[in-house]
Amino acid sequence: MSELRDLLDDVVADADALFLFSPSGSFYERFDDLDDAELVVVAPENAVDSDAFVELPIDFTDLQGRVRFGIEGAVDQGFVEEEAEVVCVADVFGEQADTITRVQASEFSRSGVYDLFVNSRAEPAVIRDVLEVAIGLGKKGQKGKPVGALFVVGDAGKVMNKSRPLSYNPFEKSHVHVGDPIVNVMLKEFSRLDGAFVISDAGKIVSAYRYLEPSAEGVDIPKGLGARHMAAGAITRDTNAIAIVLSESDGLVRGFKGGELILELDPEEY
Amino acid sequence: MQFDWPEIIRTIFSEQGAFVISLLILVTGAVLGYAVWRATRRLLYEAGVDEAVEGTPFERTTRSLGTSTIGLVSNLAALFVYVGSVLLALNVSQLFNTAIFWSRLTSFLPNLFVAIFALIVGLIAGDKAKLVVSERLRSVKVPEVGLLPELVKYSIFYLAALVALGQLNVAIEALLILLAAYTFGLVFFSGLAFWKLLAAAGAGFYLVLTQPYGIGDEVEIDDRRGIVQEVGVFVTHIENDGEEYIVPNQRVFQSGIVRVRE
Repeated sequence: MSELRDLLDDVVADADALFLFSPSGSFYERFDDLDDAELVVVAPENAVDSDAFVELPIDFTDLQGRVRFGIEGAVDQGFVEEEAEVVCVADVFGEQADTITRVQASEFSRSGVYDLFVNSRAEPAVIRDVLEVAIGLGKKGQKGKPVGALFVVGDAGKVMNKSRPLSYNPFEKSHVHVGDPIVNVMLKEFSRLDGAFVISDAGKIVSAYRYLEPSAEGVDIPKGLGARHMAAGAITRDTNAIAIVLSESDGLVRGFKGGELILELDPEEY
Repeated sequence: MQFDWPEIIRTIFSEQGAFVISLLILVTGAVLGYAVWRATRRLLYEAGVDEAVEGTPFERTTRSLGTSTIGLVSNLAALFVYVGSVLLALNVSQLFNTAIFWSRLTSFLPNLFVAIFALIVGLIAGDKAKLVVSERLRSVKVPEVGLLPELVKYSIFYLAALVALGQLNVAIEALLILLAAYTFGLVFFSGLAFWKLLAAAGAGFYLVLTQPYGIGDEVEIDDRRGIVQEVGVFVTHIENDGEEYIVPNQRVFQSGIVRVRE
């Protein structure tokens, strides 16, 4: 057994910070008086009232996504240095903490996934709701058929001025917000329309059926993605909006900000 | 109209008949009390009262006494019927000839019942209201806000106590004056504090309903020109080259809107 213990000692030696992913209350208390390392809690909500807390907006199923989000969030909020050695304790296979992994915060090239949620114009809850709609749509499709969709979130005034209607706006004079279950059904129904959804900072659905016409100059997105992704990248470069795209061809959900691809999720995993 | 029931029964039946009838009233009262107990329980459970009162201090107190709120209320209802029938039976059989005392007691009993019931409802409603309000305010991280749920709770307690005392014919005029002063203060000061918000909300409803301008339009309100980013009930967000103006909605009515169409 001592070899196993040594192995664990090697993993946790000289760590600068300990990240607990969704810890239970009693598990958190075991580390409450940790002196030689920072303690950071990464969870959907701060159930243990930790001082250093990073909120997970979506349930990342893969550990890498979670760790990446947690580290970017902790660095951004100044809980840990960018060079820190971080030990992460997470639950991967079950409900309890079963995985310990050690990473160097600088090993990650910053993807900006934390930035996408927290430092965008739109409220984080709105972005999360839109992402959930996109994931739900990607999972089931529209009446069983795969669909594509493009949601432009935030900076709606500017987006409206850089786009034109393709037809009558079904959300004209309506005051509906994303996150409402009925509205999510409406969004799914309207996803068969061509064009983009425009959603304001506070989550109001401003318009559907929008044809985006930003200048696409200098937008660099991976080759092989279609016009929808190009439009998404371009509108986020031209305005302060972010864009969430569901691809019709490969079924992935992608997030764009500042003209760059930030986030890529497979709806089937959620 | 006030009937003298014991006398009427005595004229129809004999003295012994009156005694038998009083026994019958006792038995009927027992059966009726049990039926009332069952019906109240069933009704309260079906109305979901057991879930609604779950976790309130009153429910916890009753639990520690080995009963529950529903048990207490239904027992109270049954007790009311039992006591009523016993009193009626005693009255009919006239074992004690103190008719005035009994008739007073019988007219007082419903009031006592209502008073107890009002107290129970008030205690539960107050705790529930406190829970709901503090749940609503949970995201507000200001220590002073903790005062508000307590205020709501004790206001409801006070009202319930007033109703209960009023039922028992206690002189509550002074307490009523206090309540009036409290209500007046609440209405007056909140009106004073919130009338600007009310004006903004009034204008906001007009804006939301008629939509004279929408998100993406270029407008000018009070020399602030820019693109509308958000129209809320209280404020309108107008953005212009990195400057975001948050304009209270009543400004729209005070100075009008300029819609810029080029």
